[in-house]
Amino acid sequence: MQITVYGDTLCAQVTATAMAQTGHRVCWVVQEARSREKLEEGRPLFREQGLDRVFAEQLESGRLVACFRGDALPAPAEAVFLALSPGDEDWSLEIIQQIAGNAECQLVINQTVGPVGAAERLRDQLREAGSGAALVALPDLIQEGNAFQTFTRPESILLGCEQGEGEAQVRELLRPFNRRKDVIQVMTLREAEFAKLAISGILATRISFMNDMANLSESLGVDIDAVRVAMGADSRIGESYLYPGCGFGGAGLDRNVLALVDALSERSAEPGLLAQVLQTNERQKEVLFRKFWQYFEGNVTGKRVAIWGAAFKPGTRRVDNAPALKLIEALWAQGVEVAVHDPKALPALQAWAEGRGELQLCDDPYEAVAGSDALMLVTEWKLYWGPDWRRLRAAMRQPLILDGRNIYDPDFVRGQGLVYRGIGRV
Amino acid sequence: MVPEQDVLTISTIWSQLARRAAQDKSLHLADLFASDKDRFERFSLSGAGLLADFSKQRLTDESRDLLVKLADERQLKHWVDALFGGAEVNCTEGRSAKHWCLREPADKAPLVHEQLSRMESMVNRILQGHWRGVQGDAITDVVNVGVGGSDLGPLMAAFALQSSQPPQGQSRPRLHFASSMDGSQVSQVLQELNPRTTLFLVSSKSFTTVDTLHNANTARQWLARGLGLDYDDASLLRCHFIGISANAERMSEWGIVPTNQLLFWEWVGGRYSLWSAIGMPIALTVGMDGFREMLAGAHEMDQHCRTQPWRDNIPVMLALVDVWNINFLDIRARAVLPYDGRLKHLPAYLEQLEMESNGKSVSRSGEPVEYDTCPVIWGEVGPNAQHAFFQLLHQGTQAIACEFLMTARRYTEDEHSESVCELECQHALSNANCLAQSRLLALGERALDPSLALPAYKRYHGNQPSTTLVLDELSPRVLGTLLAMYEHKVFVQAVIWGINPFDQWGVEMGKVIATDMLAVLADPESATGLDASSMALARYVANKQRSS
Repeated sequence: MQITVYGDTLCAQVTATAMAQTGHRVCWVVQEARSREKLEEGRPLFREQGLDRVFAEQLESGRLVACFRGDALPAPAEAVFLALSPGDEDWSLEIIQQIAGNAECQLVINQTVGPVGAAERLRDQLREAGSGAALVALPDLIQEGNAFQTFTRPESILLGCEQGEGEAQVRELLRPFNRRKDVIQVMTLREAEFAKLAISGILATRISFMNDMANLSESLGVDIDAVRVAMGADSRIGESYLYPGCGFGGAGLDRNVLALVDALSERSAEPGLLAQVLQTNERQKEVLFRKFWQYFEGNVTGKRVAIWGAAFKPGTRRVDNAPALKLIEALWAQGVEVAVHDPKALPALQAWAEGRGELQLCDDPYEAVAGSDALMLVTEWKLYWGPDWRRLRAAMRQPLILDGRNIYDPDFVRGQGLVYRGIGRV
Repeated sequence: MVPEQDVLTISTIWSQLARRAAQDKSLHLADLFASDKDRFERFSLSGAGLLADFSKQRLTDESRDLLVKLADERQLKHWVDALFGGAEVNCTEGRSAKHWCLREPADKAPLVHEQLSRMESMVNRILQGHWRGVQGDAITDVVNVGVGGSDLGPLMAAFALQSSQPPQGQSRPRLHFASSMDGSQVSQVLQELNPRTTLFLVSSKSFTTVDTLHNANTARQWLARGLGLDYDDASLLRCHFIGISANAERMSEWGIVPTNQLLFWEWVGGRYSLWSAIGMPIALTVGMDGFREMLAGAHEMDQHCRTQPWRDNIPVMLALVDVWNINFLDIRARAVLPYDGRLKHLPAYLEQLEMESNGKSVSRSGEPVEYDTCPVIWGEVGPNAQHAFFQLLHQGTQAIACEFLMTARRYTEDEHSESVCELECQHALSNANCLAQSRLLALGERALDPSLALPAYKRYHGNQPSTTLVLDELSPRVLGTLLAMYEHKVFVQAVIWGINPFDQWGVEMGKVIATDMLAVLADPESATGLDASSMALARYVANKQRSS
C-alpha cells in the first residue's frame, strides 16, 4: 500500500519504519528545518537501540523515503498517518486539504496527541473539505527508550473509530503486529483518546504514590524496597510502575497528565488527585537536592556535585521535563558547581543549559565525579549499575552517594566506605 | 535649618479665616454648585496618576486663598526645605525624618540602594523557590511578624497589590501577618502552616517591641518542635528567619544571622517605613520591579510636593482643606471610604499615619496648643460602610468630612478570564455608588427630585463635605504616589499647627505601666497604690483564671 506519515515525532518515525519494514511504500513528511537536515543526510530524527538499524535498512531498500512539508509527494497515499507535534494546527489543516484533493486516500489514522474530541474535530474537517476517507484514532502508546519494540509487539492497541468506519483497513495495516492474539480494542474516537490519557494518569499516580510512601518509610525506618516487592506480588496491583525515585519526566507523561488536569478543570470537576500527583512529582524532582542540603546542613555554597544521567529515562537522548533539570537549577541557585555525565543526552542538556548557567559536561563518568562532594544518580543507564567503588571513593572529596533510582545495595555501598542515601531506604 | 517660628499665634490671617468661616456658615454646597459652573475646574488637581477633587468641600475662592496665605505665614516653604534637607525636624527625638530618602535614585542614596539590593536577592530567591528551609524544601509561606508600622503598611500595600502579578516564572508565596500581642493571629497562622516550608520576617525598628518578640519566640518554638531541632539551632535560624530593623546588634542578640539582616535607619519613622525593607511583603507580592515602581511613584510625589505652588500642590491642598474643616468649620471627624476592596486596609493604615503623627496637643516649643489638631479618623470599604455607618453621615447630628477613593481602570490585567465582564460590571456599580454617595452627602435632598414631598425622617440635609481621590489604576506606582501624598499631607498639617508629627510619646508610658500590671495580675494582693477600678479588674480576672 502507498502510505504517507506526517510529523516530526518519534511516533512518526517508528510508524514509518514499521510500515516500510512490512512491505508498504512509505513517504515520511516532516516540517522542521532540523528534521530535514538530518533526513537529507540519511540520519534518523530519533536514535534508539533497536530502531536505528531497521530505519537505515528501510531507507536503503527505497521503501521509505523522506519528504519535506510542501514538496510534491512521489505518489498519492492510500492511507495517511498523522503523528504531529502538539500545536501543529495549521499544518494539520493543510494536510486535510491535501487529503481531500486525493481520491485514492481511503483511510486517515490520527496518532497526534490532543485533547479528547480532537479526532472528532479532524473527522468533521475532513468531511467539510469533501474527503471520503475514514478517520480512526490510534493513540500513541509507544514507550520512549523501547519505541520500536512497543509498536511492533504491543500488549494492546487502542483503536477509536465510529461505527466500524475504517476498522477493516486498519486491522489489515496492523496485522503483522497483531499475530499472537488479537490485542486491538475497538471503541469510539473519544473513548480511545480518553483511555490513552487515563493510562498516563494512573501510571503517574502510581509513581507519585510510591514516592509518598518512600518519604514516609524513611521516617518510619522501613525499607521501601521490601514494601515494593510485597505490593508487586499482589496480583491486583502488579509489579510495574512501583519504583520510587527522583521523579518522572519526559514530554509525554507530563503532557498527558496535564491534558487530563486541564480537561477536568475545564469541566469544573475537581482535578484534586491528579494535580496533587503532578505537584508531588515536581517536589520529588528535588528530593536529591534536599538530601544533599540536609547532609551538609544547608552549607552548600561552593560545593561540587556530580550528576550521573540527565535523560528523562534510560534509552533516550531527550531531557524534556527531566528531573535533572530541576535539580541542576536548585544547585545553581545555591552556588553549587555541577558536573554531568550522560551517555546520550549531553547535547540536549547543553542546549537547555545555554544562557541558564555553567555546567561541566563530561564524557567519562569518573571525570564528572573528580573532586565532588556528592554523586547524584538520576537516570539509571545500565553503565551506572556497577561502578568502580574504589575509584569513586578515591576521586570524590566527600564520599556521599545519592541514589535517585535505588539501583545500589545500601549495605554494599556502605561497606565500600561511602555514605549512601536512597529513596525511602534505611 | 529648622525654621524658628513654630508657635501658631492667632494671626490676622487666622482671624480672617475665622471670619470667613462665620460668613460662609449659611452656604450650602448645593448653592455653591448651583452658582458656580467652573467649580470643579478650580477646585480639583491632578497629576502622577491621581485626581483630587476638592469641589465638594465647603470652600470658596476667598477661603482657599486665605488658606494658601496661612501656609506661607507658617513658613511652609522653609519647613518643606527642612524636611527634604535632612534637618532635625523631629525635635523631641533629635532626628531628621528622611523617609523620602528611601525613594531617592541610587546615585543620591547609595546606602538605601545597598539594602534594597540585598533585599532583592532575598526576594528573588524566595520568589524563584530557591530559599530553602532546614530540610531543603522551597519556602511556600512567609509570615510577617511585626506590629504598628511594621505591620499596617506592608499589610495594606501587599493586600492592595494582590492583583498585580509578580514577574513571569516567579511564584508568590502565601503571605501571613501576625501582629497581635495575645498570640491569636500567630497561633491561627501556625496551625495551618508546615514548619519545613515557612519563613518568618521579624520586623521591628528597635527590635525590642514586646508584641513582636513574643510572637517571634512563639514561632521559633513552633519551628524547633516541628523540625525536631533545638531552639538555638543555627540552621533553623539561618533558614527560617529574616530580621528587619534599625538595630543590627539586637537582631544578632535574638539570633538573626548577619546575612539575613536587613537594615533601615533611625531617621525612618515606623509609620513611614514601608518604603524600606519593612516593605518586603510588598516586594514578595509584586516582585522587586514592582516594589521599585512603587518607590518611583512616591518619588514623583516627593518632587511634586517640593516644587508645586501651594494651590497646585495636592498634599498641601489636602492638608489645608483638612485644617479648614477642623479649625474653622468645627468638623471633628473624617471617614476614609475606599470604593475598591483592595484598599480594605487603607483606613487602618491612615488611622496610624495621621492620628499617631498629629494626635498632639503640645507645640514644638512645648506650649499647649489652643486649637484642634488631628481629628478622629476611621473608615471602611465604601460599599460595606454604606450598610454600617452611612446612616449617621446622612442623617446624624455630627458634621463629618469624608474622603472617597475610587479607581478608574480595573480588571484590565486578565483579559482571558471569562468572569472579567461580570467583574467589570461590579467595578462600575461600585464607582456609581461612590459618586452617588458623595453627591447625596453634598447636596442632600436637592440631589433628588424636587417634586417629592418628604416626611422629616426621609430628609437629607446634605452639606457634608468630601474629597474624592481618583486613582487612574491601582498599580504599584500609583499606590506609591498616593501613600507619599498622605505622608506629606500629614507633615503640612503639622507645620500649620506647629506640632512635631514624627514622635509618639503618648504610646510609650502605657508600655511601662503594662510591665507593672503583669506583676499585679500574677498577685493582685501584692499591689499597692492602684486605683480602685484597676485593682478590682485585676482581682476579677485573676480569680476567674484561678477558678477555671
